[in-house]
Amino acid sequence: MIPYLITIAILVIIAALIGLALNLQWGLAGLVNFGVVGFVAIGAYTTALTAPSIGWLPAMILAALIAAALSAGLALLSIRLEENYLAIITIGFGEAVRLVILNEGWLTNGALGIANIQRPFASLTEQFGGDIVFVIFAIGVLAVVFVALEGWTRAPFGRALRAIRDDATISAALGKPVFALRVRAFAIGGAVMGLAGALQAFYLTYIDPSQFSAIVTSYAFMAVIAGGRGSNVGLLVGAGSIMALLEGTRFLKDFISVIDGVQLSALRLGLIGVGIILQLILRPQGLVPEARRKAADVLAKPREAA
Amino acid sequence: MSERSFSPSRRTVLAGLGSLPLGFSLGAPVLAQAVDVPIGMVLPFSGATGAYGPAMKQAAELVVAKVNNAGGILGGRKVKLIIEDSETSATASVAASKKLLEVDKVEMVGGFWGSPEALAAKPVILASDKVQMLSCAADAVTEGETKGLIYRLQARSSQWGPAGAKVMDKLGAKKVAVLAQQNPFVVAMIEPFKAEMAKLGGEVVEVVMYNPDQASYRAEVEKVFSPSYDAVFCLPLLTDFVSISKEIYRGGFESKVVALGTGADAEGKFIQSVGPEVAEGIYHLQPSPPIDSPSYAKFVQEMGAPEGTVFLFAGNAWDQACIAILAMEHAKTQEAAVWTKSVREVCNPPGEPVDDIVQALAMVREGKKINFNGAGSTCDFDDAGNSLNRTFYVQLIKDGKNTPFAVVS
Repeated sequence: MIPYLITIAILVIIAALIGLALNLQWGLAGLVNFGVVGFVAIGAYTTALTAPSIGWLPAMILAALIAAALSAGLALLSIRLEENYLAIITIGFGEAVRLVILNEGWLTNGALGIANIQRPFASLTEQFGGDIVFVIFAIGVLAVVFVALEGWTRAPFGRALRAIRDDATISAALGKPVFALRVRAFAIGGAVMGLAGALQAFYLTYIDPSQFSAIVTSYAFMAVIAGGRGSNVGLLVGAGSIMALLEGTRFLKDFISVIDGVQLSALRLGLIGVGIILQLILRPQGLVPEARRKAADVLAKPREAA
Repeated sequence: MSERSFSPSRRTVLAGLGSLPLGFSLGAPVLAQAVDVPIGMVLPFSGATGAYGPAMKQAAELVVAKVNNAGGILGGRKVKLIIEDSETSATASVAASKKLLEVDKVEMVGGFWGSPEALAAKPVILASDKVQMLSCAADAVTEGETKGLIYRLQARSSQWGPAGAKVMDKLGAKKVAVLAQQNPFVVAMIEPFKAEMAKLGGEVVEVVMYNPDQASYRAEVEKVFSPSYDAVFCLPLLTDFVSISKEIYRGGFESKVVALGTGADAEGKFIQSVGPEVAEGIYHLQPSPPIDSPSYAKFVQEMGAPEGTVFLFAGNAWDQACIAILAMEHAKTQEAAVWTKSVREVCNPPGEPVDDIVQALAMVREGKKINFNGAGSTCDFDDAGNSLNRTFYVQLIKDGKNTPFAVVS
């Protein structure tokens, strides 16, 4: 049971990283990115292709950098567009990445994918057995990313992004460099998605184009919506509960004999859809909503001091 | 009602956390009953290949029901079959395999319709020293380290290709084109097909690849069919070939169509989907089950399919379950690392040929040397775990029916 839970934990961590990145781009900065999976794929393939020659750490850094550069590039091209148009462009980007990976066999080995990717700390893994070493490593990566993103959320950078999300015109009038801030948010998000891809490549030790389908993007949006847009803590809860639902429903058929496997697989995604709809009706702000300061918090202070 | 909100103390939280392992220990006996022998399968029920899973599930369940009704194995223990959905996704297959291995404690993880799913799950299954059985074709799965734990019931991609070339030769087609879906099953067939065509004095003039789930295949179909080559080798799955065959029919092209059974038969689903007019004149090939044997006829009947149906993947699932059960009985243990050494003992010649699982079990108990033949193949394996003696069964669709055309090896 424990090794299975560790597997789930690693999948949750990968989903959480992707979710955190989307939460920065969409939750905080208000930039819709439907091409999430493209950046994850770029991270995974960069890592898989370069790790054998330059080592796992430089490969992960390179994966983050390339994903960030492509994110920034895409943002520069398209970020002046209003929400809906940005959404369309990013969908196109995600799909284009998948098709390039599928068809450029000389680089990516096409549909056959890349097998036998070496994990970091392979020798330690043999010593302790199982995925224990890897889950600790993954938790470390998640912790670093979470602390960094949470720091930025509280910093002036995060406040400015929230202001831009709520009203870009007013922020610009107040002298905020709206365009530069948006590009930066998009690039940082891209880098984190690249890292998530690197972890996925290391964990599965095999990657192929079918892993990077649009469903990954959907799960990221579900996690952000379930957790509460703009809240990093909420995101962790959201990603955890989506994965718990997805994997937990596997066990339904072991306990309830009326449902057989074929019906269950049809029901599973439906159940999650119903769950999200119910949540949006009953708790639209998410499980752990973004902390919002009211005007009264700020205004009350001088009187207390007096 | 108290106004107080729920705010647990440190002790409550600690007590709660401390009791978590208790919960697992309570759940454990329900999940893995010591008396049952658990085997598992990862099959596609959803996603792009979801259409192929249900028949495989039905076949594997039939085997287990038969064995259990006849008294079980290893001195009266029941076989317990646990099936998980692969979602046609490598990531989901890893989670599913891990669940089967760690929660259900299975000794064999079978199924694996798709090669990406199998390749991703392979390291996980080998690390647990359990047996992996495949119904997928990519050569890569049985290459490299297998620990002697991997068995493939399907023909390899590199066998499908040459078989296609031999069909072309039988049709007298010299200048041919290839129209193929970009997927791991198919991609690996193309080079061996070209090589065999060249050996037989033919030529592959053009190869056109298309992506899965395209909205339209008209451009690709026009490109390979307009020049009127002698024949076009189509390497599709079911849903795309339904669209492609309609495009071919609409265009009124003259080239002969030779397709994989995965697309142009799919256990009879193709003709059902497109109707007799569109399907007319299409040749298709697939690894041959033992069509003429009485036990295969019985298998088709038990599956509830019309007589003469060629099952490809369901037969594989049937054989996977049979082989695991027979090898366990032969080795007198459920321990995968031990009974894997018995697989060739019960499957490969020499030995008395037998194709009924209950009868085969009885013979193994009597200590007889058997040579088990399954519903999908003769179940003989080489050292890497690939199946030997694969012949391909070629059919021609005539008047809305599959008619036998040839057998090629």
